[in-house]
Amino acid sequence: MSPQRDRDRDAFRAGVRRPFKFPLFTRAAARADADAELDAFLAERIDRLVLSGLTPADARAEALRRLGSPEADARLVLRRSAQRRQRHQWLRQAAADLREDLRLAVRRFAHSPAFTATALLTLAFGIGANTAIFSAVHGLLLAPLAFPNGNRIVMPMQENDRYRGDSRFERRNMAGALIEAWQQRTHTVEDIAAASEYMFSLDADGTIDTLTSAVVTVNFLPMLGVEPLVGREFSPGDVVRHGPPNVAVISEALWRQSYAGRSDIVGRTVTLDGRPLTIIGVAPAGLNIPLSHKTPPDMWVPGALTDAVDGGTGSLDISPSVFALLRPGVSVDVASRELESIAAGVPNAAGLGGRLRVMRAQDFVNAGETRALEVLFAAVGALLLIACATVANLLLARAWTRQREFAIRGALGAGRRRLARQVLTESMSLALAGGLLGIGVAGLTLRVIVALRPPGLDRLADVHIEPAVLLWTLVVSVLTGLSFGCAPAFFAGLHPVGDVLRRETRAGSAGVTSRRVRATLVVLQIAASLALLVASGLLVRSFAALQRMPLGFEPRGLLYADVLIAGTHEQRGTIRDEIIRHLQSLRDVTGVSIGVMPGKGWLGGGVEAEIDRQGHTADVPALGTIMMSPGYLRVARIPLLAGRLPDSTSFSSLGPGGWSSEVLVNRALARRLWPAGRAIGAHVREKPFPGRPPAPWSTVVGVTSDTRIPGESGDVAAYQVYTIDRLVGEVPFVVRTTMSGDDAAPIVKRAITAVDPHIFARPILSGDTYLRDGLAPTRFAMSLLTAFGVVALALAAIGLSGVIAYSVSQRTREIGIRLALGAEPSSVVRRVVSGGLGLVALGIALGAAAALAATRALSSMLYGVGAADPPTFVAIALLVGAIALVASYVPARRALRIDPAQTLRAD
Amino acid sequence: MALLKGTLDVLVLKTLSWGPMHGVEITTWLESRSDGKIDVTDAALLQALHRLEERELIAAEWAITDHGRRARYYRLTSAGRARLRAESTALIDHVKTLTAILTARSAEP
Repeated sequence: MSPQRDRDRDAFRAGVRRPFKFPLFTRAAARADADAELDAFLAERIDRLVLSGLTPADARAEALRRLGSPEADARLVLRRSAQRRQRHQWLRQAAADLREDLRLAVRRFAHSPAFTATALLTLAFGIGANTAIFSAVHGLLLAPLAFPNGNRIVMPMQENDRYRGDSRFERRNMAGALIEAWQQRTHTVEDIAAASEYMFSLDADGTIDTLTSAVVTVNFLPMLGVEPLVGREFSPGDVVRHGPPNVAVISEALWRQSYAGRSDIVGRTVTLDGRPLTIIGVAPAGLNIPLSHKTPPDMWVPGALTDAVDGGTGSLDISPSVFALLRPGVSVDVASRELESIAAGVPNAAGLGGRLRVMRAQDFVNAGETRALEVLFAAVGALLLIACATVANLLLARAWTRQREFAIRGALGAGRRRLARQVLTESMSLALAGGLLGIGVAGLTLRVIVALRPPGLDRLADVHIEPAVLLWTLVVSVLTGLSFGCAPAFFAGLHPVGDVLRRETRAGSAGVTSRRVRATLVVLQIAASLALLVASGLLVRSFAALQRMPLGFEPRGLLYADVLIAGTHEQRGTIRDEIIRHLQSLRDVTGVSIGVMPGKGWLGGGVEAEIDRQGHTADVPALGTIMMSPGYLRVARIPLLAGRLPDSTSFSSLGPGGWSSEVLVNRALARRLWPAGRAIGAHVREKPFPGRPPAPWSTVVGVTSDTRIPGESGDVAAYQVYTIDRLVGEVPFVVRTTMSGDDAAPIVKRAITAVDPHIFARPILSGDTYLRDGLAPTRFAMSLLTAFGVVALALAAIGLSGVIAYSVSQRTREIGIRLALGAEPSSVVRRVVSGGLGLVALGIALGAAAALAATRALSSMLYGVGAADPPTFVAIALLVGAIALVASYVPARRALRIDPAQTLRAD
Repeated sequence: MALLKGTLDVLVLKTLSWGPMHGVEITTWLESRSDGKIDVTDAALLQALHRLEERELIAAEWAITDHGRRARYYRLTSAGRARLRAESTALIDHVKTLTAILTARSAEP
């Protein structure tokens, strides 16, 4: 060893004692230390100067002179430098402590791999499921409109008083005159734009594709605050009045999919419904503005507001969706009042006469479908709670076996605070490691979620684990670590050293408090998993009920095609008949008719009608009408419940704009309009426009069953016979095939387009798809909730069996004595198990109460089963009870292996 | 004589290389070794000590002096010893270079 190092070690002179030790961990302490040092320095200086012969007064003056600055200044400077030094030292110390704690924690975890693996996996599931659902919640609920002005966009819409709450009757569409009045007079709104949505056939380089397109006013995209990724925005000159549009902005998704994101997209010509169109720009991703379809448009074309009924593709619909941009700082209520007062001054602006309502666009996005996400978010909260309880339980069990270690360390000088900190470090590092694994679990869960997503939550496909989500995971992990770490940390230093060391050989004194805490945790776990399973059980029953739901028609194998036919009336009629003939000739087609897919609303929305009630006419607002050809009921397999089909003379007997002379109604409409049951023979007609002569009455000749599809409420509809005169270039066909609808769709599409190259068939929709999509939200929530419920039950079972195993190991001596005294092994097992079953019963009772409260939030997602469905509750309680019985019986059997002789000798 | 910037730290480290000292001992040793030519105010010295302690080049501890007073004693840490070696070598090189230039007798190398 070098002499230098030698000196270093023997740093202080032999005579120097070290009686003072300052804990320099506060600012005040650092300041006091600096003061003390300066005072000591000056005193020593003065001592030495006096020794060299100065008078005390001169010595003091000289000492102050040598200080170099006034004493007060020097003191301030030194206090500051001491404080800075103290801060650095504290940080270093904290880092060193943390490193040490982490080292200890890692070493300890490495010593008990089974425990560590269980805890990590539990946490990974809890945190991972939470992260995955939060990603979805974050993407869909918290940031629904991801464009610059998203939070200022509102949608004025009209409410129909009679059908308030039924979204199908809520009109968000408004007349052009009203929009123009608003544009001219408003002070609360910066800009107003309108949009209508259409389905188009896009012919891009020979491949025909159907896509959603929006006709928008030219200010629409700028109003949202978006700028094109490539190319330019619309200019007023792009609007073609009374003609098809000739320019378009396409979506980023279409650009990437169909054009591979090529930059030479601008200027390309595509064919939309047979007409050429030039692409002028690409809109950025995320424009999920709520139009009528659930998916955002693929393409935007410019249009002008119009009041014409048939404006063609160059104009907006007569009643477009209206969007307004609030001025900064203006509340929705203020804008709503102003828009309402302006509307009051516009003649005929009231439309159906409903109240005007202004809604935030972001509240409109998937308002219905997001319920599933909210339920799932609550579910993963419960799951995380269970995971926390499981890990807390594991840690507590260990904390008790580690009592001796802590007692000894405490005796050697580790403070209670230090021990608690170490326990917390262990739980935190466990939680953070669990969180890290959880991100992996979240990635997988998210994939499952995306695969299962219902069509209404299509945007889930775009959800990723983003920085905000990772932040959430971190917060959740830290909170998790704190929550399950607190109990063991609290108990870590609780017991007097002597107690613990004295009873060293008696393992049986784990402490009443600990046992109670652990029992409480198990009860909590059982309760929470029961609640989760009840929720999933209710959804399972709903799903089954939805599958058994009477549909009123046969969707499987039924196809629906909406075909655009160009030409004169005669030409259209010829092409239509040609299509029907062609379709009927297909091998797997058993029936073709004109009409829409039942259960999916009406073509063109509702009309205002009136009925003849004993000579008086009575208004019928929003009556759905379905046009059909005579074979419709047979092809769709809609049963006729009463009366007869319309007479064949009915086809030729109607005037322009009128209804067929004989019509059918469905049972719901019959009951609504003619509650006395006298629907057949009643008269109904479309309400005449003001100043026009009324159309002739139509006679109801038959009543059909109600048709519905899961996820849609049953229609209230009148069926009228279709004639060519009602054709506006667009014919709906239904086709019955013997194949599955999905397989038949491409065949039917080819058959239709083969008739004439200028026919554009919009997407062929199959009843199978409708059925699947209708079931999808329930299946989505059901699958995930069930998965979460099963994981929760497994965790609860682990927790319960841990508690039982522990109690067996704690009572080894007692059991040994019992066995030695001749107790039947089976009675010993029964004793142990019955201790656990008390907890189970309590957990089930609490869980049932919690489930009763929680499932009410689920009721809008349930079908054919009540939120408090007794069979579900009983079945799940039995299931949980059975699992709990197994979970306690298996460890209890260990008691049988206890050898009395050995147990007693061990002490 | 005013000190060159940054040299006070090296001088303090050098002083402490002889063993633990408190503030007055340090400044006294520096004065005696420089025949009173080095003029460091006491406030600056104490500040420098805090700075060096913050960087863990020296460590401090309260103790009782030979005269029975409390004083804050400083000693070199091993990091401080390493720093002293490096800094003094660099400083001596620097001074040699300066000396060579300032004592040059001709413009030719």
